Amino acid sequence: MLIEQAAYANRWRGVSPAAKAAFALAGLLAAFAAVSPGAALRLALCSAMLTCVGAGVPAGLYLRVAAPAVGFLALSCVGLLLALDPDSGWRWAPEAWPQVAALAGRSLAALAALLGLVLTTPLSDLIALLRRLRCPAVLLDLMVLCYRMLFIFSQAVHEVRTAQQARLGDATLRHSLRSLGQLTANLALQVWQRAQALHLAALARNGDGSLRFLTPQFAHAGRDTALAVLAGGGLLILARWAS
Amino acid sequence: MHIMEGFLPVEHALGWSLASAPFLAWGVHSVRRQLQAQPEQRMLLGVAAAFAFVLSALKLPSVTGSCSHPTGVGLGALLFGPLAMVPVGFVVLLFQALLLAHGGLTTLGANVFSMAIVGPFVAFGLFRLGRRCGLSLAVCVFAAACLGDLATYLTTAIQLAWAFPDPAGGFAASLLKFGGIFAITQIPLAISEGLLTVLVVNTLTRFNAQELQGLPLFAVNGGKA
Repeated sequence: MLIEQAAYANRWRGVSPAAKAAFALAGLLAAFAAVSPGAALRLALCSAMLTCVGAGVPAGLYLRVAAPAVGFLALSCVGLLLALDPDSGWRWAPEAWPQVAALAGRSLAALAALLGLVLTTPLSDLIALLRRLRCPAVLLDLMVLCYRMLFIFSQAVHEVRTAQQARLGDATLRHSLRSLGQLTANLALQVWQRAQALHLAALARNGDGSLRFLTPQFAHAGRDTALAVLAGGGLLILARWAS
Repeated sequence: MHIMEGFLPVEHALGWSLASAPFLAWGVHSVRRQLQAQPEQRMLLGVAAAFAFVLSALKLPSVTGSCSHPTGVGLGALLFGPLAMVPVGFVVLLFQALLLAHGGLTTLGANVFSMAIVGPFVAFGLFRLGRRCGLSLAVCVFAAACLGDLATYLTTAIQLAWAFPDPAGGFAASLLKFGGIFAITQIPLAISEGLLTVLVVNTLTRFNAQELQGLPLFAVNGGKA
């Protein structure tokens, strides 16, 4: 996963997750508070530059991660520029331009804020932050287990897919569907097997409650958060500033 | 089809989050009670969430030649029940936003409503209805997965149409527009996912019958196919 690669190998890895989350929250608020599409685009550019230059996330990786969402946005904008008139049928709707421009600017600014957080913060740090924010233990347990198991399942999928492709498992549509069905069913079987193994391992260690792990300590959390709040305030000012 | 970060206006984003919150709270409460009665289910739901996440990354072949990803809505609802699917779906959608940048934090409520609430409840309801009407297991599973999938996309189309009414025709024209765009791609994909789910359930009944005995899928009609 590209996002995980960047999250563990960027210059802001040692910055407190609370600070990065506060900055991302300010970025999201600023995206909705932007006075014009131009202001929203400035926000998006500012967040993207901070992530790529400040945190050292490679620009190519950033663009690859952003591409699917930008594709969704482009298609949606085209859809919104088409109007369905009861009399004349489909037609271009130039009157929708202001709405589409505002939507595109807001979405890009919000996407940049989200990417600024996820490309600099590993998910394990975010789960620890959610624990500090008193997220329900049931959801946290689901997240911890899901995060730890999804890489194991991803590896299993990769191996099964390789074996299926080596045996022409994708030769026709029918074969593809059958291969995918077998893969999914085998993975579903592993859900019970792996869950049973994990349960036995936990019981063997007297683990019958919530799943707790040591969380990393951040030496300058207070300073980081203060800086993030200041920078977030800057984003909000940028959002309200119409030039 | 996830609605991307920042796409919905603020009042819609907040509204769908508020609409999803009671279902999430209900689902968490239900899972907590289930875990008190059966502590071994804790690992099962967590592993199932990872399974759903990985499943959503698989490419699903379609008869139109396009390619998309299974939602796993029907399969999850049949295996674990629609209430358990709400917190599981919430975690999967949150992870998709945080690990893949699919969806987003501000649109999480809307995506949870369509994929973790409407889809699973429709799939489970249709499955039970079909079994009570005496239809075969394969037909019920296909209908649940296929129509659960379509219900998810119809809800997404309604969410988008409500947020962005057509300049000329209003909500109805916008729903027709978004629904039409989704129909081209999603009807063949829903059929593919229905067939896929039947294949999965067939394999599970052959190789995992013992573990499936206590699950909703087999709780109906005494678990006989």
